[in-house]
Amino acid sequence: MFRMQIFWTALFHRSLLLGGVWTSLTGAEALALGGLVTALAVWLSLRLLPATHPLVLWRAVRHIPRFIAGSVDGGVDVARRAFSPNMRLRPGWLEVQTDLPDGARVVLGGELSLMPGTLAAGSEDGKLLVHVLDTDAGFDNAIPREAEDIATIIGHKPKARP
Amino acid sequence: MTLWLHTLAIALLVSLGGALWRVWRGPSQADRMMAAQLIGTGGVAVLMVLAALQDWALLVVAFALATLAALAAVGFVKSESPDGAGDPEEAPPVKKMRGTGQDRAQNG
Amino acid sequence: MADIATYVLTGLGLVFFIAGTVGLIRFPDQFSRLHALTKGDNLGLGFIALGVAFQTETWAQVAMLLLIWGLALLAAGTVSQLVARAAVSESQKP
Repeated sequence: MFRMQIFWTALFHRSLLLGGVWTSLTGAEALALGGLVTALAVWLSLRLLPATHPLVLWRAVRHIPRFIAGSVDGGVDVARRAFSPNMRLRPGWLEVQTDLPDGARVVLGGELSLMPGTLAAGSEDGKLLVHVLDTDAGFDNAIPREAEDIATIIGHKPKARP
Repeated sequence: MTLWLHTLAIALLVSLGGALWRVWRGPSQADRMMAAQLIGTGGVAVLMVLAALQDWALLVVAFALATLAALAAVGFVKSESPDGAGDPEEAPPVKKMRGTGQDRAQNG
Repeated sequence: MADIATYVLTGLGLVFFIAGTVGLIRFPDQFSRLHALTKGDNLGLGFIALGVAFQTETWAQVAMLLLIWGLALLAAGTVSQLVARAAVSESQKP
């Protein structure tokens, strides 16, 4: 029952996404062909990447403004460093413990790469490797909050921490 | 407006020239790939500006370039992985990296 | 009015593009360079797309600009992780 629900929500979301892409590419012409192509694309996407978690669309949409604000911050920060004479860089590495499933960990890494001062470099033993531009600036404080947001978007319940 | 958009497109191209310097100097393969990424993004930006100047159909070209730039990077990463065709996370664990960021920052 | 928005937004976009290039040239190690590139460029592209959007004639063109920017953001987040990982493996090769 639960699995069917995940399947149908994924079907709905992906039809919305791919249909939207078709409409913006063609400018709302050739809708019959578009319907056919969208259906094929959704089928292929569900086959190649089956849905495993119930994505909550409105939570993902609600997350967008924070993401945009974070990436503007990130760009401004990096631009200030690039133009300042001494650059104030103190690069270092962090390991972030996370129990997000594989796909969601990649999303977290991608998001962190656009937020100020952090850059993900894949994962090792389930830990995300994060490069920070300035180890003193407290960039890593934003990481738990992002991880939590993504967990609620995909309806992932974190394991109890000891 | 036309004058500003032309200036903008030229300035963007000049900034891409800086990326070409990085492609030339390297030193690592990843540096060269990053510069190629920058040229991809910059090319998309130039095409957007030209679309406003000349013909909106150029937006489709920008879309295709954005897609191809992403695929180029994926191709590079696959070729860099240990068996030349796989996932970069197959590489041996990266224990040695810790703490080296600091000394490297000094000699820049 | 729309023209002023285009001047300001595309100008900002250009500043971030130049910041990305300057960072790519000046920053001392490859991971820091990747920071500059990923963050600077995508913000620059976002501002330029927004600025150009004020000159469009139809909504389909706005949708297309949005689609390109969304794709670029998605690609940047994913690709920067992949390139960073490849750089980690590369810097460990004997």
